[in-house]
This record gives sequence, C-alpha cells and structure tokens, in this order.
Amino acid sequence: MSLLTESPAGVRPTPGRTDSKIAARIRKVFKLLRVAALWEAFLVALGSLRANKLRTSLTLMGIVVGVAAVIAVVTIIKGLDQTVANTFSSQGSTVFTVSKRPRVITSREDFVKFNKRKDVTLDDAEAIFRVCTSCWRAGVAANTPDTVKHKDQKSENVNVRGITPSAMFDIDAVNIDAGRFWTDNEGATAREICVVGTDIVQNLFGSIAPDRVVGQSVSVGGRPYQILGVLQAQGKIFGASRDNLVYIPYSTYQKNFGAHSSLVVFVKTPTAQQLEEAEDQVRTIMRNRRGKTFGDDSDEGFTLETSDVFIDLYGKATSNIYIVTYLVAGVSLFVGGIVVMNIMLVSVTERTKEIGIRKAIGARRKDILTQFLIEAITVAAVGGAIGVLTGFGLAYAISFLIGFPLLVSVASVVLGVGMSSVVGVISGLWPAWRAARLHPIEALRSE
Amino acid sequence: MSDVTLAAPPTPSALPEQPVSAHDANSLISMRDIWKTYEMGSEQVHALHGVSFDIPKGEYIAIIGPSGSGKSTLMNLIGCLDTPSKGEYWLNAKNVSLMDDDELARIRNQEVGFVFQTFNLLARATALHNVELPLIYGGIGSSQRHEMAKEALRAVDLSDRITHRPNELSGGQRQRVAIARALVNHPSILLADEPTGALDTHTSMEIMDLFERLHGEGNTIIVVTHEHDIAERAHRVISIRDGLIEKDEKIR
Repeated sequence: MSLLTESPAGVRPTPGRTDSKIAARIRKVFKLLRVAALWEAFLVALGSLRANKLRTSLTLMGIVVGVAAVIAVVTIIKGLDQTVANTFSSQGSTVFTVSKRPRVITSREDFVKFNKRKDVTLDDAEAIFRVCTSCWRAGVAANTPDTVKHKDQKSENVNVRGITPSAMFDIDAVNIDAGRFWTDNEGATAREICVVGTDIVQNLFGSIAPDRVVGQSVSVGGRPYQILGVLQAQGKIFGASRDNLVYIPYSTYQKNFGAHSSLVVFVKTPTAQQLEEAEDQVRTIMRNRRGKTFGDDSDEGFTLETSDVFIDLYGKATSNIYIVTYLVAGVSLFVGGIVVMNIMLVSVTERTKEIGIRKAIGARRKDILTQFLIEAITVAAVGGAIGVLTGFGLAYAISFLIGFPLLVSVASVVLGVGMSSVVGVISGLWPAWRAARLHPIEALRSE
Repeated sequence: MSDVTLAAPPTPSALPEQPVSAHDANSLISMRDIWKTYEMGSEQVHALHGVSFDIPKGEYIAIIGPSGSGKSTLMNLIGCLDTPSKGEYWLNAKNVSLMDDDELARIRNQEVGFVFQTFNLLARATALHNVELPLIYGGIGSSQRHEMAKEALRAVDLSDRITHRPNELSGGQRQRVAIARALVNHPSILLADEPTGALDTHTSMEIMDLFERLHGEGNTIIVVTHEHDIAERAHRVISIRDGLIEKDEKIR
C-alpha cells in the first residue's frame, strides 16, 4: 500500500472532466480499496463456479447438508421445547400439585427418601379443600395403566385416571367432543362410568363418529363401564399419544383399583398472582398434617410442584442431549468445510497458469488471495442459503410427522448463512494463501 | 534528476563486495553485475554470472542466445518476475533488486508490458477484458478502463474483435490482443519472450512489423529470442552464452 500512496504514477487524471475535490477523494478511496480488483475477483469467482457446474454443485451439497442439519436441529429442538412447555403448562401457570414424590426423580437416594413418605390421601385432599381459602378449584387424581376392551378389540397400557370432583376436567384442561362429563353426584356413587380419549375410540370402535360411541360399553380392568363422553383430541408429545386415556370417577377407581396408591392433589387459583399465596396455605396445611413444626429442616413429607418446575427439570435433563445434537450437526458442517477446502485446492492447482498470468501483469498477493477467498465464500454462502431452506423443509417435514409447531426464526437464518460464510472463509483461506504465494515464473510454466 | 540521486543510496548491507560503477541515470534499464544463482540440491548453479548493460529509453533491442544460455533468466529479471541473487537492477530510476513481492507486482503492472510465446491470455475472458486486466490491478475505474483498453485494441487493429474470446481468434490475433494488453498501461518497456515462437512465418512477420511500428511510436522494446532473423529486426543485439554477455552490438 505504501507504494500506492507514495507514487502517484498510477493515478492518471481523467481527461476532459472538471472534478470537485470530493469526487477526487471518492476516487482515491475507491482506488485504495481496489474496488475494481474486488469486483474482478467476484466476477472471476462466479465465472469459475459456472464453468465447473458439477464440481460446484457437489461443493454446494457439502455445505447444504451441513447447514441444513444445523438449521433442522435448531428448529426441531426449539419446536420440541415449545411443545413441552405448552404441554406441561396446559393446565396453565395457575395450577400446582401436592404429591408424595416429585414427577421427576434424579437419584436413587431421592427415590428411597420419597418412598418412605406417607401417601397423600383423600383426607389430605379434603383438608386442603376445606381450609385453603386462596384455592379456587381443587381436585385429586390417581393413575394406573390397564387394558381397555370392547368385544374382541382391546387397547393396552391405557392410562386409567380416577378423578374427583368433576372440576378436575377443568384443571386438566380437557374438553368434551361428544356426550358429556359426569356430574359430581354421579361421580360420588362409584358407578362404572367413563369419559374416553380419542385413541380408545379409534382402537376399539374404528373410525366411527364419536357421538355413536357414547352410551356404548367398554371393559376397563375387566369390568364393564358405560361411556358418557368422548374427549377432544390432544395430540402427541415425543411421539406418545395424550389421547390414550380413560377418565373414571375417583370413587369408582378406589373401589376397582384399590385405595392404597398415593394421590396427587391439584389446586388451581384464579390468577397466576395468587398461586404463591395458595401454595403457602397448602404448604402450612400439609406440614401440620405431617406433624412438622416451623423451622423443622427435615424432609417435609410431601412435594409441592408447579408445571414450571417440571419444565426446568426437562430443560436440565435434555440440555446435554441437545449439546450432543448440536455437536453432531456441527460436525456435518465441519465436513462441509473440508469439502470446500478440497475443491478450492483443486481449483487453485488447476488455475496455476491463470494465477501466473495475473501475477505477471501486476496482481499482488492480496489480489489473488481475495479472488480465491471470494470464490470460497460465494460457494459457502450460496450453499448456506440453500441449506437454510432445506433445513426448514426438513424441520417442517419432521414437525409435521411428529406433530409439533414449527418455529422459524430470523436468528437461525442469520446463523445458517453466517456460519457457512465463516466456514467458507476458514476453508478457503489456506488454498487462497497457497495461490497467493505462488511464484509467478513457476506458475506461468505450469500447464 | 535530483530525485534519482535521492533514491539511489543503498543500505550498507546491500552494498556489493567489489565496487561497481553507479547506474547510468539516463538509462531506462541499468543492470550492474547481475548474478543469478539457483540451488539444485546441494549444488549451486549460476544462471547468470556478472551481467552488466544499459538500455536507453526508446531502444529496440534483441536478447539472443541458445537454450540454457541464461536468456530466460535475464528476461525474468528484466520483467521483474524475479530478483537477482547479487547485483543492482535499476528500472526507470527505481532499484528493483531490493523490492519485495508486492512492490515487484506493482512495477510489473506499471512499468512492464509482457508478450509471451504462448500468448497467456485468460481463456474465458473476452479480448477487451484481457486487455483491461492490468488496469484492474492498477486500480483504474471502469469507464476509463474501457476507453484505454479499446484504444489499445485499436492500436493493434483489433477494434472489431473486442468481444471475442481467445478461442475465437487466430494465433496472430491472440498475440495482438496480448500486445494490446502489454501496451494498455503505457509501460516503460515492452518485453517480448519468443513472441513469434507459436506463429507461422507470415503471421510472425506481421507481428514483427507491429513491433517496428510501436518502436517508431516511441516504445522501448526488448525481444528475447533464439531466432536470428527475429533478432535482426532489432537495432541492437545482446548475445548471451553461458550466463555471460558474449556480444553487444548495434546493428542499425
């Protein structure tokens, strides 16, 4: 650059033009930036890419696969997170639970500790219903897997959920599609009545209208139950259906599946702001019932949870899996980078003569370096753009199959194109540097 | 001329061991005791051993010698494609022997116009683009560049071929494109390496006529060749043999 600024020999005044100082200065800046050489480099890069179509498309594919993998993974993981968040907070942020043990147990010691606790019983629940003034709705639920049959059709591993009172339907945020929920009076009589999920209808009755199932009889755990209503479909999570369930009254559950299992008490408050207050009241009630005094630091004997807790735990449990997934996607992008580097090395070798010619007539190292770098970046950026689209397509296909929302973010587009450009620079740098360092005489001699 | 003497003092470490006469300030090219040594394994091969000569501006000169004589090495040095192992080379009052790669590229761009035996045009570029190339690396803006390149192509009678690619041109036309490319930047010297080596006799004569015309227009021309009838078109012939100047004579 020093030569350029010191010797004005190369600056030829444009004949027949009256120049303002500003125009002259702009031209000087252009000259310093060597815009002409940059543009030339870009055109040469495009020309070279166009002249070697097969090679260019193979290189593109390398980058496309890498970027698509990253984009698909990012998009799917985001969708998954969103789905989990939606699912576990489907009861809303106004619901918390009281149970014997947490929904997620991470160690054997904890498991042993939680198992020593007393069961949460209907008496506990009734005490909460009675005393808690901030609790708006409350209910209990117990679950057990069992087989549901209709004639010769059967459905195994159905979640049989015994609930009381019928306000639990509201707390669970399930809606009726056909028929009706049972009334609290019906629910208290321990009759064999049930409300079924859509999977039960599908598996036992085939594809018939839900209202034609209402009034039919199914066998749950070997006893006949009358179907009162069919729920609206809730979809899947992690490929597992949320519609493979049967609601029965808790009184019936107690009678047919035993009263010994521990309950989960659900409490709903009118607004999220009142949740904490309700939790405090319930905690006090439960501590009293478990004989804990204030300041007793030993295990409380029960677990109070909101769905947020579960989402946090989910986040902790899956973050390592996600890191591994990101790494795998990153490796495929790395492989794409190697493909670009390989092709660029071939390109440099093939065009040694051309490099020699350019150097002979005045191209400096920087000019040659720029030319090949631009070529690498162009392939990588175009590959990145195609990769982003492919990645979204892939994510869309997968999300469509599994059934969760597709979250397209500008950030991941920027990420995809940005990363591929960085890959282009890094993998193009070495071949370009080799080209720039070629000796003009040796380069000219090659064929 | 004061700026020339200012640019002259070499650093003490670069001073040659034996005293050599200072370069001739009136010469376009001034070579002083130029050595070029190549390492071939453990052996040292001297391609040039102590060559000195001057070329004034506007001269038409031929450098002749058999293959292996060192004339290609000398051409590479004159064309600033390489630097001497020892000695001083002054081109247009600049000491080229001390320059680095990028400075040499700059000198090649501004001071030297190359014409090669095999034309060395970019195959995918049009004639116009090939001629523009030195101006691109010289940082000249596009409109001015087009004008200069068209003018250079007009000077070699190829105004009607500017959009043709090399494979659409005859050998003689290709060499004329190469000559236009060499001239476009108005260099100090036009350096031709076996310019007729790939051409038939008739076309060769046309190209040599063109050189003569360009010389008549004031260009300094150096032709490196092993053919005597080509060398005889020049006004001065330097014969190289075994890395030394064998003969240096005015023939016209």
